[in-house]
Amino acid sequence: MRINDAILGAVLLAFAIAIGLYARTLPAIPGQEYGAAVFPTWIAFAIGACSLVLIAGGLRHWTETGAVSLASWARSGHHLRALAITVALVVFYILVSTPLGFIPTAFITLTALFAVLGVRLVPALAVAAVLTMVVHYGFYSLLRVPLPWGVLTPWAW
Amino acid sequence: MDAILLASEMVFQPQVLLTIVMAALFGLFVGAVPGLTATMATALLVPITFFMEPVPAIGAIVTCSAMAIFAGDIPGTLLRIPGTPASAAYTDEAYAMTRKGQGELALGANLLFSALGGLFGTAILIVAAPSLAEVALRFSSFEYFWLACLGLTCATVVGTGSTVKGLVSLLIGLFVATIGLNNPAGVPRFTFGNVDLLGGIDFIPAMIGLFAVSEIFRYVLGMAPDLDGAQTKVGNLFTGWGRLMKQYWRQSIRGNVIGISIGALPGAGADIASWVSYAVSKRFSRTPEKFGTGHVEGIIESTSSNNAALGGAWVPALVFGIPGDSITAIVIGVLYLKGMNPGPTIFINNPQDIYAVFLIFILANIFMIPAGWAAIKSARVLMRVPRNVLMPTILMFCVVGSFAINNSVFGITVMLVFGLLGFVMEENGFPIAPTILGIVLGPMLEENFVTSMIKSGGSFAGFFERPISGTLGVITLAIWIVPLVLFVWRKARS
Repeated sequence: MRINDAILGAVLLAFAIAIGLYARTLPAIPGQEYGAAVFPTWIAFAIGACSLVLIAGGLRHWTETGAVSLASWARSGHHLRALAITVALVVFYILVSTPLGFIPTAFITLTALFAVLGVRLVPALAVAAVLTMVVHYGFYSLLRVPLPWGVLTPWAW
Repeated sequence: MDAILLASEMVFQPQVLLTIVMAALFGLFVGAVPGLTATMATALLVPITFFMEPVPAIGAIVTCSAMAIFAGDIPGTLLRIPGTPASAAYTDEAYAMTRKGQGELALGANLLFSALGGLFGTAILIVAAPSLAEVALRFSSFEYFWLACLGLTCATVVGTGSTVKGLVSLLIGLFVATIGLNNPAGVPRFTFGNVDLLGGIDFIPAMIGLFAVSEIFRYVLGMAPDLDGAQTKVGNLFTGWGRLMKQYWRQSIRGNVIGISIGALPGAGADIASWVSYAVSKRFSRTPEKFGTGHVEGIIESTSSNNAALGGAWVPALVFGIPGDSITAIVIGVLYLKGMNPGPTIFINNPQDIYAVFLIFILANIFMIPAGWAAIKSARVLMRVPRNVLMPTILMFCVVGSFAINNSVFGITVMLVFGLLGFVMEENGFPIAPTILGIVLGPMLEENFVTSMIKSGGSFAGFFERPISGTLGVITLAIWIVPLVLFVWRKARS
């Protein structure tokens, strides 16, 4: 889905103005001219300048490209749903992995993702179970990454 | 001479050699799995090195990073997903070769020239470290500021497509680098009261998001490259090695030299070396029109460069304790932990330790040939794994890898946000590599600028008063201004 550069430029311009205004609220170092605000201010100016170039370029090609040219996936409900579920599953992992524990969360996440991508249920369950334990063994046991146990804490090894 | 013998005794021990072999296998695996980077391989190895003696600990890291940088080429060539960002520069080119049925030639060239690049980098590390150290001893914040500017300039110049979009990408990276407490004034910036943001945005989860998660999103949306016609069998990798060496020795040497030079610059590592070398290769090629269609020339120069950069990055790391790249930044921590404090004195007080590191570098790069061959042969399995199984697996590795950097789910949030950002950016023609560079070099740029301004009492002239700083400044400004002047001149003429 390609958005016209003029729209992207306008978004970037708003972003640059927001950064610039926020930077003005940063306190100065007493007795120093160059403090925490200098870099964000410069970045705001530079993004602002680039956004003006993008807006000008986008407006020149507006008649050819229009506001948005939709890719095939953007018209496919199936693909958009798959993307939404993938993102939702990562959010699910972020929110749930600590209280629920790595093993159940990873198993649920993987099974759901396999199902979304068209893997049949039985192989999906089997592969998700094996993969969860392999990742857990590799990262937790071998690499000593403290993956959370959550509800399985009483059985932690 | 005694020191060299002592170093040999330290290295040629069964446990040390076994550690090197294990680290090599780990590095090959992590490098070959898209979404896991060479930096992450090194970072994940650090907890294990806690339990090791100094020499095997350093040996494990050297071997692992070298193997991971090489192994990143395998999925890049076979699946068009770079295993590590250092392979990103020539992924399209290598994949185009696979589509033409020349996968083994691309992978064979990657293996041979990676090993040669690594050995060349090691040779320069051994020979030039002390003399380069003398030059770098004279560097101050003024020189470091210009070095950072040069590094950032490379990112926008080298990137393909629109320069303005490259610049926007870089500026987004620089903006991300301003988040957190890490600034000259020590005040929280853009944190909005969030405790996790106080520490800033770690570039590793950001990199995983931009390079791996965005690729997974593309697959989910049915945008993954069609694998029909892709090569599923890898034939004899050693075919044509003699011809390649004869035909492309210039490109190999140029790649090595660029790799070492860029690797030795603070903040610029194998990733940037690879991009610059690819661009240089195209610029000086007799057949630039073949680039992008599956041509081995640019791959040879780039793959030589990214492995040579590893050796280069160790020069400032060993001599001054200044990281050449993100891997050596981790290495410096391990060196301190093991009592091998980096600095000029290590060459005087513990030369055997330094020679041991050099020996391990040589061993790792020689071992790369058989180990890499085995990895490429087993990479056929990657091609046989259905992608609807492979992609969720990669996502799980990305999630756990992002968590492992700080053992916090915040890393996964960063990964997701940057995954979405990377997807939107690429869809609209914004390159993503400059963003990462901005995140990495941003703090260095800001710190050295503010320090320099305080030193010079607020005068910009300070940046040109010292000979090295002045030269670097003039070069950087010339790179910025000359293309602009040429553009205006051409416009005026036409």
